[in-house]
Amino acid sequence: MTPPVTQAAAGAPDATATHCPYCSLQCGMQLVASGPRGRSLEVQPWPEFPVNEGGLCRKGWTSTGLRGHRERLTTPLVRDRATGELRAAEWDEALDLVADRLRALQAAHGADAVGVFGGGGLTNEKAYLLGKLARVALGTSQIDYNGRWCMSSAASAGNQAFGIDRGLPFPLADVEQADVVVLVGSNLAETMPPAARHLDRVRERGGQVVCIDPRRTPTAERSDVVLQPVPGTDLALALGVLHLLDARVAVDEEYVAARTSGWEDVRATAAGWWPERVERTTGIGTAELHALVDLLAGAERAMVLTARGAEQHSQGTATVLAWIDVALALGMPGKPGAGYGCLTGQGNGQGGREHGQKSDQLPGYRMIDDPAAREHVAAVWGVDPATLPGKGRSAYELLDALGQPDGPRSLLVFGSNIVVSAPRATHVSERLAALDLLVVCDMVMSETAALADVVLPVTQWAEETGTMTNLEGRVILRRQAASAPAGVRSDLQVIAGLAERLGSTATFPTDPEEVFAELARASAGGKADYAGIDYARITAEHGVFWPCPDHEHPGTQRMFADRFAHADGRARFVDVDHVGTAEPTDADFPVHLTTGRVLAQYQSGAQTRRVKDLPDTGPFVELHPMLAGRVGARDGEPVCVRTRRGTMTAPARVVGTIRPDTVFVPFHWVGANRLTNDALDPSSRMPEFKVCAAAVSA
Amino acid sequence: MNGADGIVVVGAGMAATRLVEGLVRRGIGPVTVLGREPDAPYNRILLSALLEGTHREDALALRPASWWASHDVELRTDARVEALDRERHEVRLADGTVVPYRTLVLASGSIPVLPPVRGVVGEDGALHPAVHAFRTLADVRRLEAALAPGDVRRAVVVGGGLLGLQVARALTVRGLVVEVVEGAEHLMRSQLGERGGAVLARDLERRGTHSYTGARAVRVTETSEGTGLVLDNGYTLSTDLVVLSAGARPATGLAQRAGLAVGRGVVVDETLTTSDADVHAIGDCAEHAGRTTGFVAPAWEQAETLAAHLAGASARYTGTRTVARLRATDLDVAVLGEPREAAAEPGAQVVEMTNPVTCSHRRLVVQGGAVVAAELVGDLSRIGLITQHFDRRTVLGPLEPGALLSADRPSSGSAASVTSMPDEAEVCTCAGVSAGAIRACSSLEQARDSTRAGTGCGGCAPVVRQLLATRPSTQGARS
Repeated sequence: MTPPVTQAAAGAPDATATHCPYCSLQCGMQLVASGPRGRSLEVQPWPEFPVNEGGLCRKGWTSTGLRGHRERLTTPLVRDRATGELRAAEWDEALDLVADRLRALQAAHGADAVGVFGGGGLTNEKAYLLGKLARVALGTSQIDYNGRWCMSSAASAGNQAFGIDRGLPFPLADVEQADVVVLVGSNLAETMPPAARHLDRVRERGGQVVCIDPRRTPTAERSDVVLQPVPGTDLALALGVLHLLDARVAVDEEYVAARTSGWEDVRATAAGWWPERVERTTGIGTAELHALVDLLAGAERAMVLTARGAEQHSQGTATVLAWIDVALALGMPGKPGAGYGCLTGQGNGQGGREHGQKSDQLPGYRMIDDPAAREHVAAVWGVDPATLPGKGRSAYELLDALGQPDGPRSLLVFGSNIVVSAPRATHVSERLAALDLLVVCDMVMSETAALADVVLPVTQWAEETGTMTNLEGRVILRRQAASAPAGVRSDLQVIAGLAERLGSTATFPTDPEEVFAELARASAGGKADYAGIDYARITAEHGVFWPCPDHEHPGTQRMFADRFAHADGRARFVDVDHVGTAEPTDADFPVHLTTGRVLAQYQSGAQTRRVKDLPDTGPFVELHPMLAGRVGARDGEPVCVRTRRGTMTAPARVVGTIRPDTVFVPFHWVGANRLTNDALDPSSRMPEFKVCAAAVSA
Repeated sequence: MNGADGIVVVGAGMAATRLVEGLVRRGIGPVTVLGREPDAPYNRILLSALLEGTHREDALALRPASWWASHDVELRTDARVEALDRERHEVRLADGTVVPYRTLVLASGSIPVLPPVRGVVGEDGALHPAVHAFRTLADVRRLEAALAPGDVRRAVVVGGGLLGLQVARALTVRGLVVEVVEGAEHLMRSQLGERGGAVLARDLERRGTHSYTGARAVRVTETSEGTGLVLDNGYTLSTDLVVLSAGARPATGLAQRAGLAVGRGVVVDETLTTSDADVHAIGDCAEHAGRTTGFVAPAWEQAETLAAHLAGASARYTGTRTVARLRATDLDVAVLGEPREAAAEPGAQVVEMTNPVTCSHRRLVVQGGAVVAAELVGDLSRIGLITQHFDRRTVLGPLEPGALLSADRPSSGSAASVTSMPDEAEVCTCAGVSAGAIRACSSLEQARDSTRAGTGCGGCAPVVRQLLATRPSTQGARS
């Protein structure tokens, strides 16, 4: 176990410079021992870290609230066959049991009888070792993670357009240099508040911020231009922008000719999206569209940033591609203070997708069906490339297959609360119930852990060390600041314990720095190349941006200045067209349902709902006064939202800031995802969380 | 030549292009497209935008020239089809070429109606030099050529329908003094009611365009001040330019001569098939369920349906809800469905609001709680929502139609006075800090350090500053 690393430069001598446990901003903070006998931890600013400059949101300030929490799990739990209840067990007993049953299931039903489900909140080290566990110790192809439900559409689009997927191809602070920033489906003022400072500075400089969201969010309140399209029509809006850019000769033809390919087909598709047609599809009036295009056409430096609002659709990849097309048509990607970026959501949404917990990838963002990639990684792992399994199922498809005749019969879950976060959650819960064995590693009894046959208590942030890769592609180090409660093990130890019991001959180190060094070797030569990164450099340089192929390499803060990552160095315009949502409204389900987050909660709420200093409002249903009047809903009183998949009841919040044809439900609590649609994007396999047809009644 | 096993499309407009795109996507061919214009397919509905200057000409092209050949589609421009021989499965072009087909699609669009105005067409059959049609890209080029010398100051548009008004507005934006002559008693007679038409006329008037309604142009003459257009009410309008935009009728001649069933348009069934199983019709020239349309949306839907049908899928065309939308800068008109017919249906309710001062007139026709038709003139602030309700047939509450017409924009965070803000009001949502907690601080630095207000997104900074500036002075007095 790595001892706590302290950093004198960061402030108090006993302060540990580290990062927030939550979102992809990975705000820098310091943890200082305080209280009687220094047993509690206090959060202090770390002003030198550039992403948040000492700022934190409420979640960050209260992030030590789970330390010593009474609901903290400190002993393995095993479900007793006789009583059906979970009972305390020794680690050896629990791990032996899991390994024995996994082996038995694989002997009877094949290697793919075991599934592994990871998370975008896991450190790079854990994500990497989890992938290795699946591919080497278990030999299963059935591994994926909840990042599929985060930014996978942007990842898929980035790969298609630029040949590489790094959420932001520039440091976040570059946003300040833009003249126009277009936020497509991002509510960053609530979901990553410290990021909003960069937007404010755009405006202080005289630049403009455009916010595109069906709700007039706190982010919209701080924007200059607010567009509220019909959910699921951002793609048509982008095509409308392209149409007008072309119509008024605002396309950067020189850039398009020199640095891209594919514009002609995109132009032809956009030719069919004149403003009045866009208006009818998106609900955005022609005057608003013209105003947006005026702004973009006149901007020296324009930046388009997408987030979940654009990405979580059955056409999520196409939607992001269309907005990348806008950025390319304007000649922006690669230009300083301009371009396209994705505001990744989960803490390690970026790193979590690079090191092998994705069904189709090996470490370093290598594709698992690429023979050269298999050979390289197999050599690092000391195994025969032929023994590595192939491509497995994507996250939702994996869950949907659980307990089915050809699907996995057991599932190991790390860092994910599937029951709350998966779409069509009732169905997913049924699939989990159909398993022969469900193993969940968590620090508290999450809704998913409560269904498990074996629950393994793991360390939380601040009790362990590991790297994360933030939304900028900056690899940062979270340091251990306190010791874990007795009885708790790190995920790395759990993985190693299972691998050993499964008889794996490969090594499974438990020291994070050692795991990272191996990860760096495995990633060498890949797209996400970490070979030149180590803990010392991260500490000295406030993080290192990948790709960083060797120790002399400075890391890559800004990408695409000279070339894109495709073999010919050009970016691709990808020709996409608006098809519409998988589930249009109809007479029975006449309103759109969209889902999202609130400031005080994070993801499935397994952590934040238990922090007593964070207000837990519970779920609510946000709707417009016109719709409220139609269905007889009153502010604060319960309303029922129904879809083809489920029903939930929660208090109404009647606000004039949402489209009258749309209701919004936050997804941090059980309920919202009973309603959501499991229609998947064909390329990213992202479920359509952001829109489905619903009925509302009082 | 693609030969007798191919699909031949007569017409190369928007419907034809959409159909070909659908066929290409499904891998169906070979396809031959016969367009009578010299240009490759372009976006006809943007011609007035081209004239107005909001679009460049190349932006109207629907597909790059290379696209057709690279997708194995033979595109023939300047190809006027003269005859259809259904028995021999072939069409004959004006230049004598014969093109055989297995499947024929008529997408020949419509033909502009020339109003009976003497002197419009000379003895040689050509238009009078000052008179222009407005239907094709070639027409716009001819008009541009006439405008090029820069000495054209005045124009008269004959026809106060959707297209005529777009042209009038475009020419006004180009700096001309424009007058509109409309034979009916009000503008946009086919779409708007009398009141809507009147409000629209007033709106045009204040933008410098005068319209003469209930007046017909009868003769083109020469006057001392240029060309004269004589109206049947006795007026003679002196002008430099006359643009004819008096409507269009479906191009059915070919079908009629070939003995296909023709009503107002070429009669088709739900699969867009004519009375001959090997001949289909889509777009402006087609008549489905007794109706012809003249809009892009139904034409494209028909094209999609036919492409699917030709691919062997069981696609059915059941009609399209139309939204007629005037496309011209600062002239806001939208007509959803057919307001006059819809209002005459039993059970229909009409909610309307007219504001002559602002030149707005909005009228919703509600049937069974749903907006089934609407006229919106001069105020499109809610069009994005109203068209959604119309297209999705949303059943509204009793107060909603009225609310849709009242002009309220979602209020942003009300600018309530900071001094009257209660102590328990949350000021900093990032750190969860109340107004009272801020008031207990003596400086911005203290507020930041002790409460952490403003350390997250920073959005509360102005309010925090105001709270500190206006905090009760008693605390300071005591110290």
